[in-house]
Amino acid sequence: MNVVGIGVVFTRGRGVDALESALQEGWVPPSPGCSSSGSAGIPAYRVPEDAYADKVTARRLRRADRFSRIATASALAAVRESGLELETTQESVGLILATAFGPHVTNFRFLDDTLEFGEALGSPTTFSNTLHNAAASHIASLVGVRGPTLTVTSFTFAFHEALVLAEAWISEGRCSHVLVGAADVCGSVMEYACGEKLTIATDGKIRPFALAPSPTAVPGEGSAFLLLTGEDAPQRHCRVSARHETPSSVAAAADVILLDADGTVGDESGYLELVEPNTTLAAYTPLFGSMLTGSSIHAAIAALMLRNQVCYASPVADNPHGLAVCAAMEQMEQGKLQRIDCIRLDCDGRSRRIVLQS
Amino acid sequence: MCGRSERARGPMTGSSMTTDVAITGMGVISAAGANLTETLASLRAGERNAAPVTLFDTALRNPVFEVRGDLPASRQMGMRSVALALVATEEALQDARLRDGLGESRTGVCFGTTVASQLNDTDFYKEFRAKGSAPPEAIDRFLRCNVAEAVSRAVGASGPCCTVTNACTSGADAIGIALSWLRNGICDVAIAGGADELNHIPLCGFASLGILSESLCAPFDEKRDGLNLGEGAGVLVLERTTSAKSRGLDPKLFLRGYGAAADAYHLTAPRPDGAGLDSAMRWALAEAGLTTDEISFVNAHGTSTRDNDSVEATVLARVLGDSISFLSTKGYTGHTLGAAGAIEAVFSAAALRERWVPSSAGFSEKGEDVCIAPLTETIPVDGAHAMSTSLGFGGNNAALVISAGDGLRNGISDR
Repeated sequence: MNVVGIGVVFTRGRGVDALESALQEGWVPPSPGCSSSGSAGIPAYRVPEDAYADKVTARRLRRADRFSRIATASALAAVRESGLELETTQESVGLILATAFGPHVTNFRFLDDTLEFGEALGSPTTFSNTLHNAAASHIASLVGVRGPTLTVTSFTFAFHEALVLAEAWISEGRCSHVLVGAADVCGSVMEYACGEKLTIATDGKIRPFALAPSPTAVPGEGSAFLLLTGEDAPQRHCRVSARHETPSSVAAAADVILLDADGTVGDESGYLELVEPNTTLAAYTPLFGSMLTGSSIHAAIAALMLRNQVCYASPVADNPHGLAVCAAMEQMEQGKLQRIDCIRLDCDGRSRRIVLQS
Repeated sequence: MCGRSERARGPMTGSSMTTDVAITGMGVISAAGANLTETLASLRAGERNAAPVTLFDTALRNPVFEVRGDLPASRQMGMRSVALALVATEEALQDARLRDGLGESRTGVCFGTTVASQLNDTDFYKEFRAKGSAPPEAIDRFLRCNVAEAVSRAVGASGPCCTVTNACTSGADAIGIALSWLRNGICDVAIAGGADELNHIPLCGFASLGILSESLCAPFDEKRDGLNLGEGAGVLVLERTTSAKSRGLDPKLFLRGYGAAADAYHLTAPRPDGAGLDSAMRWALAEAGLTTDEISFVNAHGTSTRDNDSVEATVLARVLGDSISFLSTKGYTGHTLGAAGAIEAVFSAAALRERWVPSSAGFSEKGEDVCIAPLTETIPVDGAHAMSTSLGFGGNNAALVISAGDGLRNGISDR
């Protein structure tokens, strides 16, 4: 599939310009607290309101929750970046949103309603936004998606499965374009769960190359979308595919490997078995935080790297294993950066990768 | 008027493609029965096993369709939705002669759900609200109960794994995804379906929306005043026909087409002109290589809400003609949300196999805003092709086309 549009919303802003700026500027400390209450318990990479608030869409999203607004801003950014007018296309446009936790904050807000006011007295607007697919519905409405529109969920590979399905849809002619993305947000229950289940980096630094049995995490939130077409359509950024194969080691074909290591899946030492000793490694999770759907943001970064022929400096490059880490920004000769693999491990040690190629 | 019209666009399919994916196993559990045999007997008898909630404490007395009896504790993994999924999966695998193992096949697992995608644990949240902490076991339970991942682990599947959470079309969409997987060579066998438990939070949610009926639901009826919630799971084992034949099976049912389309209109209301459902149905028909007059019957979504039934009947008539036979089975199962599309796909396939389709439970008089009436009695199935339609919050629409092979059409079923 060809990537023809990239959209992202994360703690440093919205769109590819904000992403490029963050990649060039490097690490900045997270803010305190996972939730809007700003509790000081756990550092987190929260998305500021100005990264997703949009005057153009404000009226139509007035009933949408924060999860939907972040996802919608990201999807719209991908469409705008592509320069395509999907609303007027006669071809079939599909949409797949991947998420690990969906609009959990809204779900708990609805529970607050029912606990405070009574079982049948919760807000119907709040309830309708508790559905995982509410965000996709808002996106479909704003972008004009009339083809298949799905929300898929899993705790590690949701974005990967979304890419696989998008490829199938394009291959079988079900869709000419598929808007594929992921979104997740933080909240107070998430903060509690992270505190209970993860080792939080108290200094706010994810160390993706520590690849330790007990890695540290810093919760993050955000969204990334790719607008995809078939390979017979004009290519704007690069090609992308997601693989089901789980080789014991990654072939040396990749010029750069992005490790999705972010402290969310327990033992990360398994990554060491998946990388060739001399392959250049990079990881940008310290820029956006620990997210089970963070692979989507890494895929967006990889697409930018291929377009710009740049290997950006890994923002936290602590390297106890002596790996070939890209620690300083390197502008490559045109055409030298051909392939980037994004690799993710799950809690059971299974791996999946997303391959992006010029 | 609800005239027939022709489709404008659709997939390019060849005749060789349309029977390339076989249905080799079916499993179902709902208030209508703990397996397919029980369920068919219940449907034929017209049983409607609804009553107020017994599964959890609530002051809401609206009738619901609960699965009767205890679910095996070994399958619960702490979440009822997963237990329901595993019961139906086991039946479907047995039906497909795969219960002893999936062998070397790349088996994909795709399930639709709504409840299991959230940490819908009121007790956990009450305690968290009160104390700022709560037993983390609830979090562990939630994290290990992503339905597709739980089923995949339980059966030892090695292929793709995806949980769809697309509101009430989730189950149908999961089956449609599996069709794409198989046709694109992503897996050899797929376990696809939907599962949802009756849960306090959606019960409160539907109550807040004001669309829970205080009596038994009456899809498409003049007096319909809302839905009854239900719970259950439906599962199809799908495989490439060539793969099924290589295992010595002689497939008699086929999944031929899937269409999905977004209304891009409203979060909870269907598009008044039904354009999304229209598009999904026509896509599924074209993918199946069938014309509109080849569909024998439709297992409609038919929730018994004013909006859904009015729009759905209009589109059924517009696409398939005023005389199309259709029914809603929500009157037997309640609205099982993310499981509904899968349970109804199983019902459609079973009806083609058994050669009869039940009446539309709860219907007696056509609503003024409903342009055609559903079945009022059990009828024999003469044709070979059925459609199952699903509509969901968010503006999702899905349609599946299922066909009987020659053996069934000639009345030569070996089942």
